[in-house]
Amino acid sequence: MLRRFFSQAWLSFKGQQSAFSFEEILLFKVSYPLITLIFYCVLAGYSFRKSDLTHWVVGNSFLLCINTCIFSLGGTFTGERYFGRLRSIIVAPVHKISIILQKGFYPCIAAVLSVMLGFFMGSLIFGVDFTGINPGLFLLITIVAMFAATGFGMLLAVLGLITDEMNFILNLSSYVLMIFCGANFPVSQLPLAARLFSKVLPLTRSIEAANMLFDKIDSGRLTWLLIGEMGLGIVYCIIGTIIVKLVEKSAIKKAALEVF
Amino acid sequence: MKQLIVIWDTLRLQMKNSFVRPMYRFCLIAAPIVQTILLYEMYKNSGQDNFTTYVMLGGGLMGLWSCICFSSAGDINRERSMGTLSLIFVTPANFSTIIFGKVLGNTVLSLGTLIISFLTAKIVYHAPIMVVSPGFLLLSIFAAVICFITISICLAYLLTLSRKTQLYMNCIEIPVILLCGFVFPVEILPVWVLPISYALSPTWAVKLIRLSVSGVDNRMEYFTILGILGCITMIYIVLSIFLCRTIEKQVRMKATLEVS
Repeated sequence: MLRRFFSQAWLSFKGQQSAFSFEEILLFKVSYPLITLIFYCVLAGYSFRKSDLTHWVVGNSFLLCINTCIFSLGGTFTGERYFGRLRSIIVAPVHKISIILQKGFYPCIAAVLSVMLGFFMGSLIFGVDFTGINPGLFLLITIVAMFAATGFGMLLAVLGLITDEMNFILNLSSYVLMIFCGANFPVSQLPLAARLFSKVLPLTRSIEAANMLFDKIDSGRLTWLLIGEMGLGIVYCIIGTIIVKLVEKSAIKKAALEVF
Repeated sequence: MKQLIVIWDTLRLQMKNSFVRPMYRFCLIAAPIVQTILLYEMYKNSGQDNFTTYVMLGGGLMGLWSCICFSSAGDINRERSMGTLSLIFVTPANFSTIIFGKVLGNTVLSLGTLIISFLTAKIVYHAPIMVVSPGFLLLSIFAAVICFITISICLAYLLTLSRKTQLYMNCIEIPVILLCGFVFPVEILPVWVLPISYALSPTWAVKLIRLSVSGVDNRMEYFTILGILGCITMIYIVLSIFLCRTIEKQVRMKATLEVS
């Protein structure tokens, strides 16, 4: 059972990357996210007139997961439909939550690695000092953040079963994260409704927690933020599973699984 | 006259075709709105007097460039996947005339991003907007349109050589926005990056537009920038003619028009 989980998870991840050569993976998964990180940090340096870009390096490093968690993962079910595998997945005698978790497992690890790379390159380019922070705690925050982001990506992926406007949804979601999760400007700048909305998005709490490591750590607040982020990831997975079940029922009734 | 009719008909058809694609609609309508919001929130506490110039022009130009990346640059490949590339290649109307009409249609339609960005800043933030030299601004926008058309044609021909157009389309978006100073002056970039920035024609187009908005006090400076833009655009035109001829020759010799 566990072996099948990992082999299916690996197959799904491999399927997402197989179209690209090693150089193209380097270009798309490493160089391009780094240029995006540099762009937003330079912009922040100019617009906020700051030379210490720690908060932006941290925030935008977390946002590097967008490529994997939103775009790669978010297009999963659309891809399954395109390749004609959707019917097999739905009729397979496997619990749907297992399918959801399989698809998110390796992208989650890849996202953690890309965030780490962002921190490393950000510290080199913008002179951010990571030596004074607790590395274990930092890794924990990153893993929890990527779990929530992966859950969000899976929830978006499930929407691919009921709409053909996934390009629009995925691109819009990436901007929503950039605006509302506090990576590029403080969430406190936003109106109340937008601040409340930011609470139901992944990364908002993690970015706040990671930034806390560079200032004074409030242990109670930090724990609360991590629990909140973890809970959010679980809620995304549960909602994703419920939607899959509903779509499955509707598709069986209407015989329209592959035509929306 | 015949050529003009071909350009006009291709332009109209291209506008209709582009607008029905969800990704293009995202780049044209949603992207400038979210980019303007993001830029405004980043700039609003910058203390700069003319920050709305960066916000509105930045949001609009980012949207315009996204439209070019995800439409004009991939048009030849799109024709290939629809199976119509060989038809427009051998049609009695010149192939490059059709490509010009397509790119012109996209660029004209994409100018809508500037209007949407302007309206977003005005409606959402009541941002103060003052164009000091409107006549020069019109001339600058005209020059920018020509500059974007030539760069689009070059990209469209270059991307014909690969079947992984989608990957490269994604990879050229942010680097050009960064290098051409769409949202901050290029002069804040490291010195070794500046030659690359200055070799890209949009850098000069953006300088012209920004100068027109803030006011042309020194006409000599304005016309010098316009002259440089004209020279670089000419180089791009020569490059696109060379690319067109080389690719035409290649596909005839190797019979690889539809397999790249």
